[in-house]
Amino acid sequence: MQTSMILDWPWQVLVNKYTLSKRQVVNELSTFYSFLLGFLIALIIGSVILIIQDKSPGDTFSLMFKLSIGSVNSLSSSLNKATPLILAGLGIAIINTVKLWNIGAEGQIFMGAIAVNLIYINLQLSNSTSFILILLFSSFLGGAFCILIPAVTKVLFGVNEIITTLLTNYIVLGLTIYLVNGPWKDPDSLNFPAAAYVGKEVYLPNIFGKLSYGFLICILFTAFAHYLKNNSVFGYEMRIAGGSEMTAIYAGINAKQKAFFAMLIGGGFAGLAGGVELLSQTHRVSTGISQGFGYTAIIVAAITGMRPIGIFLVGSLFGALSIGGSVIQTIGVSTYIADIIQASTLFGALIIQFFFNYQLKRVDDG
Amino acid sequence: MVDIQFLGLLNATLQAATLLFIASLGELITEKSGILNLGVEGMISVGAVAGFMTAVNTNNIFLAIIVGVLSSAIFASIHAIVTVTLKQDQTVSGLILTILGLAVSSLLGKNYVGKKLETKLESLFSIENPSNVLEVFLSQNIIFYLAITFTITVSYILKNTMFGTRFQAVGEDSKAADSMGINVTKTQFIATCIGGAFAGLSGVYLTLSYVPYWTDNMTAGRGWIALALVIFGGWKPYRTAIGALLFGFLEALVPRLQTYGFELNPYIVKITPYIITILVLVLLTIYKGGKTGAPKNIGIAFFRENR
Repeated sequence: MQTSMILDWPWQVLVNKYTLSKRQVVNELSTFYSFLLGFLIALIIGSVILIIQDKSPGDTFSLMFKLSIGSVNSLSSSLNKATPLILAGLGIAIINTVKLWNIGAEGQIFMGAIAVNLIYINLQLSNSTSFILILLFSSFLGGAFCILIPAVTKVLFGVNEIITTLLTNYIVLGLTIYLVNGPWKDPDSLNFPAAAYVGKEVYLPNIFGKLSYGFLICILFTAFAHYLKNNSVFGYEMRIAGGSEMTAIYAGINAKQKAFFAMLIGGGFAGLAGGVELLSQTHRVSTGISQGFGYTAIIVAAITGMRPIGIFLVGSLFGALSIGGSVIQTIGVSTYIADIIQASTLFGALIIQFFFNYQLKRVDDG
Repeated sequence: MVDIQFLGLLNATLQAATLLFIASLGELITEKSGILNLGVEGMISVGAVAGFMTAVNTNNIFLAIIVGVLSSAIFASIHAIVTVTLKQDQTVSGLILTILGLAVSSLLGKNYVGKKLETKLESLFSIENPSNVLEVFLSQNIIFYLAITFTITVSYILKNTMFGTRFQAVGEDSKAADSMGINVTKTQFIATCIGGAFAGLSGVYLTLSYVPYWTDNMTAGRGWIALALVIFGGWKPYRTAIGALLFGFLEALVPRLQTYGFELNPYIVKITPYIITILVLVLLTIYKGGKTGAPKNIGIAFFRENR
């Protein structure tokens, strides 16, 4: 009987000549490799689903590829689509620095858009640049406002933030439906309940072609989030605050205060995503402001291990996938394929990550 | 003669509570073993669509229940493999399980949107129009009685049997449980799948009886309310049942307030369950002062070498 025989169920059933141990040194690029292999696994799963539906995976994927990054125009659409994903993902990553979860990015995106419209209706400025900046800032505040109750209750009483942030999604979506059917209803929009369009003077212009300035904002905020998380004093304090309680006390860091501000900033990022989406793409408040960006952003943030630059890259890829997913509807393939590929990528990555963190060693039973 | 409106309210309360409660009870079992599964919403959705598809195609309601329950249990095993066997982060895996579950069920149910059921899950004792309180209780379908049976059984097993004590030891202190000779990972794996099976039962209740039809995202956050109910109930079956009845009552009452003479905005009515859930969760956490009664090992993957 081996004393070091420490494989647990169900491993022991499958292979009982091996032991499992934690690797001392984990490959630095393990997250990246896990993502790549996870994405491969997800594509295989996607192919299987397509084959079951009598569609050719090769044709479908090449069409998705062509229509999402095959030309400057389609690449621009993909990056525009990626913008809210990345911004919301960055918000989730900032909040995760203090080891808290923000599942409410979807609601914060809507709240950001609502804030923009609210300010737009009540304020008219002649200088369109400063007006746009004020509107973007108000979307940031809107997102921060949206996470205020989860943040306050978490910090003061320790209420589970996963459930409160998630439930605010439903509340804000309900509020949006109320607004576009009630006080903000645009009488000209007959088939689809929506608020009136904002004026052309506050549209976010395009850098070139279809690519919106929103993407530039996205690059700037990726850099800002990277700095905030990794290089700033606040980021350092957030990491301590998210670590052990005692360390924070010894270091003289007010962990609750850091958690509170991290949540507000993270919520603000997601709110900004809504503001950018409204000013650059939809130009009005409706339930179409977000197509699940806040949920996909969770995948994007988690898959990169909450690294801002990773979020930028994976977010761009997933934006392309979403565009690809929506265009393949025309050949009768369900748009949910893209969602399934995104979620499966993370599951695949989690499975691969295990083999980077743990090692199976053969036991010599001689 | 009892007020018809009151009977309607009672009936709606019981139905809404059953739907929430079964999923909560499943999550309670999973969490007692030390595994947090945030995928309840996705698991309910998978069970709901699988059950509905089976019912439409076969007209066999019992087969539909079994298929719904099994699909969710198998779906939950993804979470079990990733978090128990492969020891990855439970929060991440659970969240993605919800996203994947909603996407998979939308994909599967695409051609079933708007289809009607030939046979829906009928009242067990064939009482169509109950005329008193007792008859309302007797007019429920089989899943309601299953829920009551499960509550009593689960509570009894956890409190009074050796098996229950050993099971809870896994969630409280997995290393101690392991040294007692309990197979920790096997227990957690099975508990996660059982949680999925319960969520699946809740799902088939939704599509075969409560609504009964299929549309995208029809779970509408009920999985998350079920998660909140576990906290509300302090990880105890009876208290969770009381919580479910309370929420069921509110879900039934709010749309009916108009018939009692209150003028309410229908859009505001829709978001009240979520506001109430947050409110109750906050008040409860304050009241308990942070001592929630959660299993101590929840969220921490078991790895023997960590001993």
